[in-house]
Amino acid sequence: MSAAGRRVSVLRIRPRTWVVLALASAAGLVMFFWPLFAPPRPEAVAHSADAPLIFVIVMPVVLAVVLAEMSSGGIDPKALALLGVLSAVNAGLRPLGAGTAGIETVFFLLVLAGRVFGPGFGFVLGALSLFASALLTAGVGPWLPFQMISSAWIGLGAGLLPRRVTGRAEIALLACYGVVAAYTFGLLMNMWFWPFTAGTDTQLSFDPTATVPENLHTFLIFTLTTSTFGWDTGRALTNLLAIVLVGPAVLAVLRRASRRAAFDAPVVFDPPRA
Amino acid sequence: MTARPSLPPLAALRFPPLPRALHPGAWWLWALAMATAAGRTTNPLLLTLILAVCGHVVVRRRGDAPWALAFRMYLLLGAFIVTGRVVFRIVFGGGQGDTVLLTLPQIPLPAWAAGVRLFGPVAAEQLLGGFYDGLRLAVMVVCVGAANALANPKRMLKSLPGALYEIGTAVVVALTVAPQLVESVQRVRRARRLRAGGRKGPRALRGILVPVLEDALNRSLALAAAMASHGYGRTGRIDPATRLITGLLVITGLLGVCAGLYGVMDATTPVYLGAPMLTAGLLVAVAGFVLGGRRLRRSRYRPDRWRAGELAVTFSGIAAATLMYLTSQLDPAGLYPSLTPLTWPELSVLPALAILVGALPAWLAPPPALTQEEPEPKPVSTAKEPAA
Repeated sequence: MSAAGRRVSVLRIRPRTWVVLALASAAGLVMFFWPLFAPPRPEAVAHSADAPLIFVIVMPVVLAVVLAEMSSGGIDPKALALLGVLSAVNAGLRPLGAGTAGIETVFFLLVLAGRVFGPGFGFVLGALSLFASALLTAGVGPWLPFQMISSAWIGLGAGLLPRRVTGRAEIALLACYGVVAAYTFGLLMNMWFWPFTAGTDTQLSFDPTATVPENLHTFLIFTLTTSTFGWDTGRALTNLLAIVLVGPAVLAVLRRASRRAAFDAPVVFDPPRA
Repeated sequence: MTARPSLPPLAALRFPPLPRALHPGAWWLWALAMATAAGRTTNPLLLTLILAVCGHVVVRRRGDAPWALAFRMYLLLGAFIVTGRVVFRIVFGGGQGDTVLLTLPQIPLPAWAAGVRLFGPVAAEQLLGGFYDGLRLAVMVVCVGAANALANPKRMLKSLPGALYEIGTAVVVALTVAPQLVESVQRVRRARRLRAGGRKGPRALRGILVPVLEDALNRSLALAAAMASHGYGRTGRIDPATRLITGLLVITGLLGVCAGLYGVMDATTPVYLGAPMLTAGLLVAVAGFVLGGRRLRRSRYRPDRWRAGELAVTFSGIAAATLMYLTSQLDPAGLYPSLTPLTWPELSVLPALAILVGALPAWLAPPPALTQEEPEPKPVSTAKEPAA
């Protein structure tokens, strides 16, 4: 555990990338939460039927721009190979629990890897894990970019947790974060599915003429009645148990790999000798 | 047949086309165009026709790769969407509509739930509305599923834009490593059994997960070493001016997107701050994205080219979507069957024709090259196979 306090950031986020990331996240959040403040005028672009379809086109573009910006400095081959392999493990973990009472195994390794390898790596790993898993188990659809950016935020957040915490406190911190992340992911995806599931003309649909708190209230009832107690709680429990039970061992494995890869060591190419 | 297969221009135009893998982009464009066509109507007859067209093309032109079997999953998902919509209307419908089919006992929720009540009268208008809406969404999802079944994801990753080259490589690594993980899990489990360590529960999880993870990470470092020794990662110097312009374009574009989204959401802002701003922002951001991708020149091994088959597939999809759009301008009544009063949906000629144009790839696209059944097995190679 000597490496616990050491700060490793495998994919360094430069200030310019932070700006791009912040702007893209703001745009992304609006594309999730638009039903709360959809405009009442019917001729607006955010017509209840068209707005989700526009965002389905906008979100992949925004995501591609952010990922390109993240990798614009060139990714170290070691980081790239780690990204690929960890995405494959995550994608392989996902079908283990999918479908059985909301056991979702994709996030715990993402949280742990984000913690060890830093926020930039966590962001890209979160997006890539769901992308690879969708390609492997054929889940590509309009929801994919939204799932990708949600899980990318989870990986980013895991990398941004306070560094000084170590030992048991670290596991407790990560477990708490895992629970919060599970509920947040469920809430975000519910928010996205809300206009699609409820349509526009039931009691639990969003109402363009209502105020933001009223719509939020309707949404909370919608999410409570449809998924909070089943899927989201199942996901949170899985995260909690997985991080508490195998967290320390997995953290040690990841840190060992990080040390062996020696990301901090500067790479210098000697000029060719004549 | 006077044309010999060695003559590319004639061979490309022969009918039926020779078996080969189509450019995945062509299938995606066709599928997205069909999804756009489906988005323009709620008429169940037309939607069923689109479903039939997609199914027919998939059955005739899919290969035997694992992802080609995914179409059934998307059909199930579509059925789930339609059922979910209708059930949602029954439970939370609130009893709007005149033609009440049956009345279920009501369950009022407590006060914090804002007077929502469950069940109650179920009206035909509501059920049909849910069914139409759900069917439209389901057909759009099935169109995406058709692209998934027809397009080869690995070839798709090869044609990613240059700016996403690293990300695409990571995904290729992930897709290649995933089957090896299964083998790794089996190896670890066999070793556990040999050591008589067959306990279940969390200990077994740790006993399998940690060795598999360790194995995977070691493999990734070996892979990285191999990549580095092949010269990967030695990127050239990037021109500072290009970097500055790229960054400016990307940030300006995203600012435009944010402003455009705000404009779309806020009814009091002027119209030009809405959709036009959003589009402009997206274009500027994409320009930065493309410029950033041009920093390196990379050669490609056997790149996919756009040939007659690709063009035919793409054009049939775009023609279907365009004809549907024309119909929605000329005769929108047939596309959106009325719910009040309830009427039977009708099938008119133009939209039906539009959708049938989308079925042309079933004949115009080259059939996939199957990997499983060889046309003429070579006796020498098959005799060697069991020994190897």
